[in-house]
Amino acid sequence: MTTAAARNEAPSSDLLSTYRRREISGFDELLDGGGGLRDHWRLLLDGLQGLSGAERELRTARLARRVRETGIAYDIFADPHTSAQRWSLDLLPIVISADEWRWLERALMQRARLFDSLLNDLYGEQRLLREGLIPSELVFSDPAYLLPCNGILPRAGGLRFYAADLARGDDGKWRVIDNHTETLAGIGFTLANRVVHTHVSGDIFNDCNARRLAPYFQELQTTLTLHSGRENARIALLTPGPHHEDYFSHAYLARYLGYLLVEGHDLKTRNGQVYLKTLEGLREIDLIIRCVEGRSCDPLELDPTGLVGPPGLLRVCRRSPHVIANAIGTALAQNRGLGPYLPGLAHHILDEDLELVDAPRLWLGSPEARHELFANPDHFTIRKAQEGTGRPGQAALGWEARALSTPEREKMKREVALHGATLVAEEKIGFSSAPVLRADGLVPKPFAVRFYVSRTESGYQVMLGGLAMSIDPKRAVALSAPDGQTRDVWVLGEGEQAPHISLWRPTFAAARVDRSQRVIQSRVADDLFWLGRYCERADWTMRVLRGALRRVEEDSGPDTGRRAARKCLEVLLGKDLSAVTGSRKTPPDEEIERLCARLIASGLGSRTLERTLDGLYRVAHLARDRLSLEAWQTLSKFRSGETWRQTLNSARPVEVLDILDEGLATLAAFNGFMHENMTRNYGWSFLDMGRRIERAQNLAEAVLTLFIPVSPDPEETSSSLLLLLELADSFITYRSRYRLDPMLPLVLDLLLLDETNPRSLAFQLSAIARHLESLPDSHQGSALPEDRRLILALLTSIRLADIEAMAREENGAMLERLLMDQLDMLPELSNEISRHYFNVMDEAPHRAHTRVGPLP
Amino acid sequence: MIFDIAHRTHYHYRSTVVQSLHLVHMSPRALPGQVIRHHSLLVEPAPASRQDGIDSFGNIDVILDIESPHKELALLARSTVEKWSPPVVDLQATTPWDALDRRLLRPENERDVQISLFRCASRLTTPTLEIADYAALSFAPARPVLDGAMDLVMRIYNDFSFDPHATDVSTPVTQVFAMRRGVCQDFAHLALACFRALRIPARYVSGYLHTHPPIGRPKLQGADASHAWISVWAPEAGWVDLDPTNGIIVGDEHVTVAFGRDYDDVSPISGVLRGGGEHTVTVGVDVNMVAASSADALNSH
Repeated sequence: MTTAAARNEAPSSDLLSTYRRREISGFDELLDGGGGLRDHWRLLLDGLQGLSGAERELRTARLARRVRETGIAYDIFADPHTSAQRWSLDLLPIVISADEWRWLERALMQRARLFDSLLNDLYGEQRLLREGLIPSELVFSDPAYLLPCNGILPRAGGLRFYAADLARGDDGKWRVIDNHTETLAGIGFTLANRVVHTHVSGDIFNDCNARRLAPYFQELQTTLTLHSGRENARIALLTPGPHHEDYFSHAYLARYLGYLLVEGHDLKTRNGQVYLKTLEGLREIDLIIRCVEGRSCDPLELDPTGLVGPPGLLRVCRRSPHVIANAIGTALAQNRGLGPYLPGLAHHILDEDLELVDAPRLWLGSPEARHELFANPDHFTIRKAQEGTGRPGQAALGWEARALSTPEREKMKREVALHGATLVAEEKIGFSSAPVLRADGLVPKPFAVRFYVSRTESGYQVMLGGLAMSIDPKRAVALSAPDGQTRDVWVLGEGEQAPHISLWRPTFAAARVDRSQRVIQSRVADDLFWLGRYCERADWTMRVLRGALRRVEEDSGPDTGRRAARKCLEVLLGKDLSAVTGSRKTPPDEEIERLCARLIASGLGSRTLERTLDGLYRVAHLARDRLSLEAWQTLSKFRSGETWRQTLNSARPVEVLDILDEGLATLAAFNGFMHENMTRNYGWSFLDMGRRIERAQNLAEAVLTLFIPVSPDPEETSSSLLLLLELADSFITYRSRYRLDPMLPLVLDLLLLDETNPRSLAFQLSAIARHLESLPDSHQGSALPEDRRLILALLTSIRLADIEAMAREENGAMLERLLMDQLDMLPELSNEISRHYFNVMDEAPHRAHTRVGPLP
Repeated sequence: MIFDIAHRTHYHYRSTVVQSLHLVHMSPRALPGQVIRHHSLLVEPAPASRQDGIDSFGNIDVILDIESPHKELALLARSTVEKWSPPVVDLQATTPWDALDRRLLRPENERDVQISLFRCASRLTTPTLEIADYAALSFAPARPVLDGAMDLVMRIYNDFSFDPHATDVSTPVTQVFAMRRGVCQDFAHLALACFRALRIPARYVSGYLHTHPPIGRPKLQGADASHAWISVWAPEAGWVDLDPTNGIIVGDEHVTVAFGRDYDDVSPISGVLRGGGEHTVTVGVDVNMVAASSADALNSH
């Protein structure tokens, strides 16, 4: 097809006009050498062309919003507006034709087979080393080579997960730029990208007849169940925890596959078995999907500096090598120095030609390679042979000789001679370009792509898609995209596709009705308890702020109302109560506004709204695999750096009221999602207990602040009562019940004693008592456990209270004693629950050595 | 010579250890010139489980799982070992160090994987350019490998001061090199970093040293404690043990417990604890000669 003909035929010429004007240096995915549109992109471009410019913009914006709401990010705690790692997903995917895919699929499976055999040999007979096919020093200098795994890995059932980063050079040939044999290599990011993308552009996806990801994961799930050896296997995904860059990927995948997400300290090993610590005691784990580095899997026998995995795991693997996938030690195969040896190994091991080769590299442990490097240093980039990153976009940059001065070069030569076994020299390769959508149309942008392979019962399967990353071609060979610009990868299908299957539903024929409590780790119970507490604390703080600012805004309101609000602000700010209550002076409005600003954000207070919201977001993230997507998305508003948080900090007092209303509505929505969606299991009990303890404490504290000492001024009492009803959200209840102005005994009865009012103190306590009754009791002996004893004392003290007598008393001594008792015992109750159920330790496990050598 | 060895380790923890898991290398391995007549390991509190195993180097290891809460942990390892002096080695009659590659990588031969393993730097023995320079002074081109090795060991012995206060168990070899002081473990690691900078096969040896009362001879440093030294390989002599702390070729008074790439592979005891806080540890080792040879032992019984 001539260029002119292609232009005439292409219905997408508008979109393409800018693209054609750009300079394209290497291979382009979209256009062929003559400038004609490649056939397999046609359907995608037709689809895009069918959308108006405004619709394309809208879709791009929706993608960005979805990405943010789903929380696809490297560092989940980072401020989304300042983080350099911000994740973005382009509206345009990379399209791969069915023909090309057939080759890629075969080539990737061949590589997986090769690495599988290679690992089994290196951790077994080591024939490849003894016959000199791989230099021994390449293997033995690699910290990823874990000597204690010798003899274990070959019995573990082979390499289960493999991923390869590919780039297409100027010659149109794909080459591998990095291998990932350690973990699932961010497969959760890929899955999330696809889910988000089809939400926004599913119509074009379908029109293109692009292939789905679900069958891959279904096969993966089936394989892993078979591998675990049990039909109802308990499978856990082991993550280093929320502070790891890939935590999002781990959590997303665990949720999608329906596996438990666990951290090392959730697990305990005993002889030949791994157990999960749950509220009901230890539960056997059948299979661990490893998302932690092999060397930090067992601090007892492996890297003594890392305490990520459960101590003693390797000892379990010796007895049950199948218990973990990938087996510990597999990272060895991703050593970049192996690249030049792979074609020979493919011949030797598989008796096949290697179809997909690595980007050109030299392993600098070899004297000939060093010689080649020194002869032409400007031609190469020096990098670590083992980087151990499974994380897209995070490859470290290389060391370029052309940037060095002469003395630096001499030093570099000596370093290479000394540490050559751990280094490689890489030649630059080209990266092909493919279109991304910008405001002025399509723009060519170089990329690299990660493909995923997993083991099945009959061999290997390749995921029909991948994760593409934009590349800065000036940088070294690597999937290094520090700006995190990603693209989906569509593999075009041939003919009809199987109907859509989603794994969000269980698909096993063997699934049985099982209503037993889903296992819950002690750690998760802890997180949910604090989620409940922070939610309620945020709610209460915002109500106090709103109450105070309303009283400032309503000029006509009585001064006593402002005074009451000020007391509540001050108690939250932690000021001494007595110093304030004596003051008869009308507090100026500015003083209240100043206190509000301090309660929103102050470095000093531990109960400021900022701190509370940060805490809320943090624990929500820790418990994220227990929250529904909607519930999670609702909370993302509270993330530090989000627009709502920024306006809260910068707004004028009048505007703050609207912002607080919005915040309270968000919390109500979150609570509603939790209430409607969360299974009433132990997890729910802890979430609810956390909320109720916090509410009971805040309420008791507010009553104490507002009514002790008793004010002789009826107007002051009336203002305090109104504020209290507002804070406790019980004004309507009171009005519908009494149709009277608030009176002290009636209000106290409604808010302290009435067990039918969900806002009353008694209601909170009896709910906690019911939860504690339902929990498993590991307590030994006949005496009542401390937590039950405390709740009984709290509840009895409230139930026995004579409110009318208290309201009549002039000095308020009985009311004060009642509230002080509550305020003393509630924190104790919280501590007792922690001690009883959460397996709290003052310190993390640590490793101790004795020293060799004489004592002083 | 026959030695009775008692190795006591006593931990005191500030707070209660809820649970602990320990990996122990205290059982001397059998070697040419070393026979183990008896070994026992007592542990208090009694472990819930104990697994005896052989590690990748052929050393004997034990994993102890202690599940009862404890504030003290005591181990007593007793061994009776018969040790003979190794054959005398002609240090000069060994392959030049810079010809080892040719020797080890002959295309017609299978590679000796067990030798290559010990040519590579490990976590605790990674050389720097400065350490490589220091090592190079003992290895002029074509110098026989063991001759150079002994020279290096003597230089460490002379250039470095024995000082148990200068370092602790986590002091890196670069700091030992900069301070010029340390203990046996530090000198062993430094020597290994030097050898590995030149890709000379060398391994870390952990064991015991029989010391004499200071009558006539000076008391050897390293008395009454576990000890560490190194072993260097030459094609003609195999593995030859050298002691940089005492500047000697190892004779019949060093009892080998285990060897590996560095201390991490063979530490006498390391543990992962939950709880415990800070701890103090007291270690006592007694190495007593019970007989000069098997014949004497028979006579005395």
